[in-house]
Amino acid sequence: MDTSKGTPFLELKDVNKTFNLASGEVTALEHVSLSINKGELVALVGPSGSGKTTLLNIIGSLDRPTRGEVLLEGIRIDGLSEEDLVHFRREKFSFIFQDAKPLRMLNVLENTLLPFNFFKPKNRNGNIKDEGIEIIKSLGLGHRIYHMPSQLSGGEIQRVAIARALITHPAMILADEPTANLDRANRLFVIDTFRKLSKEKGIAIVISTHDLEIANRADRIIHLKDGVFLKDEVVACTPCAA
Amino acid sequence: MELIVLAIKDIFRRKGKSLYLLIAIVIPVAILSTILLTFDNADSSLSTLASKFGFTLIVQPKNIRVDKISQIGVNTQEYIPEGVIADVERIVRETIRNPKDKVITVVRFYQEDDLLIGKAKVSSVVAGIDFKTELEAKPSWKLTSGRWPENDQEAVLGGSYASSRKVSLQDTVTLGGSEFKVAGILQNYNSSEDYMVFAPFAVIQKLYNKSGFVSVINIQNVSLDKDKKMLQTAVAEINKNIPNIMALSPQQFSTMKYALLKKSLKFLMAIVVATIAVSIFSIFNIVTSVLYSRIKEIGLLKSVGASRSQLLTIFLSEYLSIGLMGGLIGYPLGLIMTYLLDSLLLKLGAGIKINILYVLVALLVGVFCSLIASFYPTYRLSKIKITDSFRSQWEG
Ligand SMILES: Nc1ncnc2c1ncn2[C@@H]1O[C@H](COP(=O)(O)OP(=O)(O)OP(=O)(O)O)[C@@H](O)[C@H]1O
Ligand SMILES: [Mg+2]
Repeated sequence: MDTSKGTPFLELKDVNKTFNLASGEVTALEHVSLSINKGELVALVGPSGSGKTTLLNIIGSLDRPTRGEVLLEGIRIDGLSEEDLVHFRREKFSFIFQDAKPLRMLNVLENTLLPFNFFKPKNRNGNIKDEGIEIIKSLGLGHRIYHMPSQLSGGEIQRVAIARALITHPAMILADEPTANLDRANRLFVIDTFRKLSKEKGIAIVISTHDLEIANRADRIIHLKDGVFLKDEVVACTPCAA
Repeated sequence: MELIVLAIKDIFRRKGKSLYLLIAIVIPVAILSTILLTFDNADSSLSTLASKFGFTLIVQPKNIRVDKISQIGVNTQEYIPEGVIADVERIVRETIRNPKDKVITVVRFYQEDDLLIGKAKVSSVVAGIDFKTELEAKPSWKLTSGRWPENDQEAVLGGSYASSRKVSLQDTVTLGGSEFKVAGILQNYNSSEDYMVFAPFAVIQKLYNKSGFVSVINIQNVSLDKDKKMLQTAVAEINKNIPNIMALSPQQFSTMKYALLKKSLKFLMAIVVATIAVSIFSIFNIVTSVLYSRIKEIGLLKSVGASRSQLLTIFLSEYLSIGLMGGLIGYPLGLIMTYLLDSLLLKLGAGIKINILYVLVALLVGVFCSLIASFYPTYRLSKIKITDSFRSQWEG
């Protein structure tokens, strides 16, 4: 991707993260610097415990670095208070967690519109419910709009999470192992959807995965091991072009 | 969708746990309501009793011990010498200072005994009364069947015998070894008299070897009824001048009768406080475990932009509604319990009355239990970091 024009959407500068445990300090990230642009699909790969989740959390400002800086559109956000971060979360980020099931008491549409229980959508000129239905249909769940989560398969549940992530028009989507529990067809569906969204809507998307087939469909792969960068490679997604 | 709607939907999703919470709230509310309503009944039956009595002044033996009072609430152990009657009448007349003002003196003799009514053996209170003066003082006293006694070996049964004991007129009732004919059966007055057997005064007094003694002296006088101050003077004078007796107004008498109930108020309130404490403790535990099982849900809500105060709103309105429901269910349950308690035990003549104040108390106690117990766990878990919530091992 072209990173030369202007400030990157999100930038980490020499980020370190250590956790203090009773048994001593655990270093989860060391000297990590990276930048991510709009419209980019980035995959974090690495063995278990290599710091993928920790890095995603810091990128999405769910967690603070122990040292180093996090910049969003050129502005430091690592020192912001929890109250200020709530607004960033609402306006800029959407998260997809591996084991965050949709709320059981809400149907697919209500789960998709969940964020708007907490704040009003901005700059919309259509009906928000219609838009939700559109998004659900575009993810192939048109026949499930009013179904409850208990009636859905694992792949469908993950699509609900994607729908919920899209409804807020985020600048960035952070997904921790979004394909982990899915069969191959569903894994490919998720990654191809992300790819399409990053290209068509200019959303920056960062996912973590163990699966190289999935990672290879990203624009960039960041390899982590024991909390340090092994390499940051640009990939040309050969299957995607086809 | 509003946050409140989210909260309500969640209550119904967790029916089992919500039901536990509801029960934990309903129990103390129902117990408290029962106690409040029962005392209310005691109070109102106390004032109706006072007016139903129809007596102005009551003289009874001094120092009647509460534990010596018979089951139905009359004194059958201590007696007053008959000589006191004249002294009491004299003091009353001196106080009212009007020779034309009529003073009716109704004297009764009570004895607790095992009777034979027809063939049934019954432990009851025998009242020796003078039917003529008794009826002069209480013209409203009515029989449901039969007639008033015409000779010394006839008796009248209290209203409760009309139905429950299957006693009929012409049966005999054996008092202290002597047989009486049942001449009539009284109406039910919802009072201790319903459980008594009435026979001529002198005969009963002699039968139980208590000639020259009475159990209670009742005075009826219009002037004293009208002038409470004069009544107080008469009561004070009698108490000052005659030893070993106690004069009271009916109001005071009724209050004494319920002294036992009132004495237990502290104890009952301690029970209420204890059940409320147990309730709060259980709610605290249930809420804590529910919230921990919702920990990932909390993380998810925060990640889609829920602020802490919004989370508190969702959770606390959930517990607020359960508290309100607990109050709404607890109060009618208290009404039912009051009714059962009364018809089985207390016999104060309670009806089902809705007391708005007590409904409010019930709702407040429900909400109080629920919110006090859920506030701390809710507050603490709303502070959890999103990352920690997803690392947590709790499963929803
Ligand atoms: N909150 C925390 N407290 C203590 N240690 C932590 C915490 N979060 C992460 N760690 C540690 O930091 C290191 C990196 O963890 P992280 O979860 O980021 O790895 P990961 O690459 O996501 O692993 P996986 O593929 O298993 O999800 C691990 O050693 C982990 O034990
Ligand atoms: Mg991880």
